[in-house]
Amino acid sequence: MDKLIITNNSLVYEKFNREIETVFLDKSSLYQLLECVRDLVYMGHSLYTHPLSGSIKPNETPYKSVVISKKKGVLDVESVAIIEKSMDAALRFMKNYPTPPWTENILKDFRTVDLSLIENAVDRMGNI
Amino acid sequence: MRLELGKIFIKDVQFGEKTMVDKGVLYVNKQEIIDLAMQDDRIKSVNVELARPGESIRIAPVKDVIEPRVKVEGSGAIFPGMTNKVKTVGSGRTHALVGSTVLTCGKIVGFQEGVIDMSGPIAKYCPFSETYNVCLVIEPIDGIETHAYEAAARMAGLKAAEYVGKAGLDVEPDEVVVYETKPLLEQIKEYPDLPKIAYVHMLQSQGLLHDTYYYGVDAKQFIPTFMYPTEIMDGAITSGNCVAPCDKVTTFHHLNNPVIEDLYKRHGKDLNFVGVILTNENVYLADKERCSDMVGKLVEFLGIDGVLITEEGYGNPDTDLMMNCKKCTQAGAKVVLITDEFPGRDGKSQSVADATPEADAVASCGQGNLIEHFPAMDKVIGMLDYVETMIGGYKGCINPDGSFDAELQIIIASTIANGYNKLTARFY
Repeated sequence: MDKLIITNNSLVYEKFNREIETVFLDKSSLYQLLECVRDLVYMGHSLYTHPLSGSIKPNETPYKSVVISKKKGVLDVESVAIIEKSMDAALRFMKNYPTPPWTENILKDFRTVDLSLIENAVDRMGNI
Repeated sequence: MRLELGKIFIKDVQFGEKTMVDKGVLYVNKQEIIDLAMQDDRIKSVNVELARPGESIRIAPVKDVIEPRVKVEGSGAIFPGMTNKVKTVGSGRTHALVGSTVLTCGKIVGFQEGVIDMSGPIAKYCPFSETYNVCLVIEPIDGIETHAYEAAARMAGLKAAEYVGKAGLDVEPDEVVVYETKPLLEQIKEYPDLPKIAYVHMLQSQGLLHDTYYYGVDAKQFIPTFMYPTEIMDGAITSGNCVAPCDKVTTFHHLNNPVIEDLYKRHGKDLNFVGVILTNENVYLADKERCSDMVGKLVEFLGIDGVLITEEGYGNPDTDLMMNCKKCTQAGAKVVLITDEFPGRDGKSQSVADATPEADAVASCGQGNLIEHFPAMDKVIGMLDYVETMIGGYKGCINPDGSFDAELQIIIASTIANGYNKLTARFY
């Protein structure tokens, strides 16, 4: 299986880590997670899912999950373009209005939505 | 397909013993609406309140807004595949209670904003400050899972809108508008010298609270297809999108799609509006490539000269938007994008999350990063604890007088990326 999940969402880690290698960046912010994904892309991994999955704005939700290739290859310039643009967009939103200190109930809701977005995407990927 | 849309103009809404329309006033039986919604055992309680233009009322958090309509003649019924059986719609005659809505409020998730102010400085950003709204406040049973609550609230809203819409069945409309799209070859023969224009309509389809339905099917489950524009007027497309309120395409906005409306106005004059290419928005990058390739292929195959493209949402969908733009251009069509923007508070940053050189013609729906002051309102329709969860989710985010400051992006449809709003961007 050529999938690697990068996530800061405990629900995603719990759901997938037994079947798919999952890197759990507990306590990372959304932006820090994108930085990690960017570094992996520059090391030769390709993006399988869009880093800004969903339409909840990056300054609202603190959670993000991204699926990349487990195998490394030559630099995938399309993946580079997507992750760099995603990071620009996320930073722009956070500078405008920082992510509020949400209550645990709301954090739980954000985790649930993020899980659904990545679940649907992994489902679409089949046996990759 | 040929559809006569009978518009019954509503100028007030009141509670009454019988749900009916009389001299432009919509009367609704509150208990019958409650009983209808409570048929779903996932729902614990429903309250129904009315909100009229000019009243000091804030409605939040809003889930969906629906215009009450009823099929009078023709195949199928309103909201096929949802509240009625699957049957192709879009022909015959349909009546709409124009100026009224049924809207649903429910704290599906704690962070779900979605504000409508019926008066004051924020009212101008939302079209529903000018409509007579029947508001359903829906509370789920304890411990219900989020997917189930979303589905229950969605169906309650559609059922209530269908029920209210039936009040227009035997009413003589104030205005009848005829919309017609013929099969492609007939239409090209009818207007051989006019450019063939199609509308590429991207549907939100990324997952929980990000879904749209076409004849009851989740849009992520289909591949790009062709739709007669009148199908949308009978509710073939319904919304399950509960996030990103500013660019949320409510079911009302699907029923009243402004791109379709304006293309029909010019059809046969300076363009030949051939129809709608329906597509979706995907998280899996290969799906983006697959679907945008298919959109480009349809444009080429149908011989389309020009396309307008709209999306729903921000971020990930911007990449689908740019892929569709690129591939429609490569297929030989001139392309115009219609989208909202997020350029930061000073308006100086790149305003969409992706770009492509082919995206050189854009009509802007305005920007959602502007910070506005939301004054206190006399009444709130919605969940009692909305105040804390609405924009801050923490105590102290609201001023002592009940007012608060927030980005435009929390107002329902304030920057909706199909143009049914009042914001834009201009060069000067």
